[in-house]
Amino acid sequence: MDANSIIASLAGKFPDDIYDADVQSEIRIAANVKPENVVEICRYLKEDLSFGHLCCEFGVDYPDRNEIEVIYVIGSYEHPVILTMKALLPRDDPEIESVVPVYWNANWYERETYELFGVKYLNHPDLKPLVLPKEMLGEWPLRRDYEGFPNKTARNLV
Amino acid sequence: MDETVGPSEMIVHLGPQHPMMPGPFRLNAKLRGETVVDSEVEIGWIHKGIEKILENKTYLQGITIVDRICYLAALTNEEAYVGCVEKLAGIEVPERAQYIRVIMEELSRIQSHLLGMGEYASFLGFVSMFMYTIRDREDVMSLIDSVTGARITHSFLRYGGVKDDLPEGFKDDVKYVFGNLRKAIDNYEELYRTDDIYKARTANIGVLTADVAKDLGVSGPPLRATGVDFDIRKDEPYLVYDDLDFNVCTQTDGDVFARIQVRLDEMRESMYIIEQCLDQIPDGPLFPEDTPYGKRSPVMRIPGGEVFHRVEDPRGEMGFYMVSDGSDRPYRVKIRGPVYPTLQALPPLLKGVKVADIVSIAGSMDTCTSEVDR
Repeated sequence: MDANSIIASLAGKFPDDIYDADVQSEIRIAANVKPENVVEICRYLKEDLSFGHLCCEFGVDYPDRNEIEVIYVIGSYEHPVILTMKALLPRDDPEIESVVPVYWNANWYERETYELFGVKYLNHPDLKPLVLPKEMLGEWPLRRDYEGFPNKTARNLV
Repeated sequence: MDETVGPSEMIVHLGPQHPMMPGPFRLNAKLRGETVVDSEVEIGWIHKGIEKILENKTYLQGITIVDRICYLAALTNEEAYVGCVEKLAGIEVPERAQYIRVIMEELSRIQSHLLGMGEYASFLGFVSMFMYTIRDREDVMSLIDSVTGARITHSFLRYGGVKDDLPEGFKDDVKYVFGNLRKAIDNYEELYRTDDIYKARTANIGVLTADVAKDLGVSGPPLRATGVDFDIRKDEPYLVYDDLDFNVCTQTDGDVFARIQVRLDEMRESMYIIEQCLDQIPDGPLFPEDTPYGKRSPVMRIPGGEVFHRVEDPRGEMGFYMVSDGSDRPYRVKIRGPVYPTLQALPPLLKGVKVADIVSIAGSMDTCTSEVDR
């Protein structure tokens, strides 16, 4: 299965949800996705296009666009193509459906994105801080406008 | 994990400081008698915020920081980070530099496996094995030291090349060390195969099947021990791995014994790769000609864009996702470490095993908490 046919199949199945699809090279494709339907799309990717390997899931903050991107990097054990899928969320109230029912290992990635960016995952089995202390919840340290770095974080350590 | 305990149940905390652990993480196990019914992994004791630090460092400073993600795989971490920038800026690495990188990364794979394997044996109470592997690892460390000038945090890779050429007589040193190491690895294998206690504690313990391992997102030796030949060096070749002849080492049992066997085989394969490299390595420059790379501290501005680059770490798939906005420091770096999903997969793996096997199973994953916490 090559990059072009994957994009065609995906865009054909979800014409309303996939936009700005782009074949960057033979083994890299990128697409933007509407946040509402992300679980259905992931299920289709896993079951029909053999994208069985979630490499990672994380956030990127864009204060000037007032958006947070949640990026899913999904690979496969059968073919070498990697799909980079982005969901754009509003910065004030980022909410998206959890993909844990499809990709089991998204659990920790989502907990980390939650505590570092404040992205709220709906229907996540256990959404609580993973790497940060509980008191830091609400500071969202990996957002670009976080001001506690490095003074606040250093004080926490002492 | 549900914190309520029923009759004849109790919760035991292993860690964050525990002899089994190469770094602090906590395993909360709920026991019924001797059997684990449920468990949970807690991390975060050594969270360093490397992703945030990288946003505040220039590209050249970043190389030093990514070394500190995991000291056993410093060179592969650098490769993933440097590879991202090279892809974004379109830098071609000269062939000689690529060969040197492969040699160094394979050496680092050998020393990581030696430590991981020895440490694992010591978790089982086989402390002499730890002493043997540490002794042999020291020779490999000296080889790395002679090229990079440092034992664990090298800062050796540069954009477009490597810091230094191979020293004089390196080939002979490698030949000498590998002669001993081959014998040593054969010895280890024989010890493992003939030791009844070791076998009883590893064979058919912590069995992962291929489907389950794929589902849990595990990569590296634990996945290859289940028979899946997933190896980035073959599946998505970087550097000169395309021109080299090597096998992906797999086993089919998926138990603890198979994981250790995969590591033993991989060390032999790495030695074979390095010997090929030393025979084939061409003469030439270490940096692309007519470029500023390799001169003293260039201020680099990388063209905007996004890239995902992954390499085969000693422990599995190491990937960096980099977003650049055209300035002299990255906009966002995501580090996808191989141990992160592996450690996350411990609770399903530990369900139903005896307490005594917890250490055996968790240790065989060769976890590195420093890399999980980043």
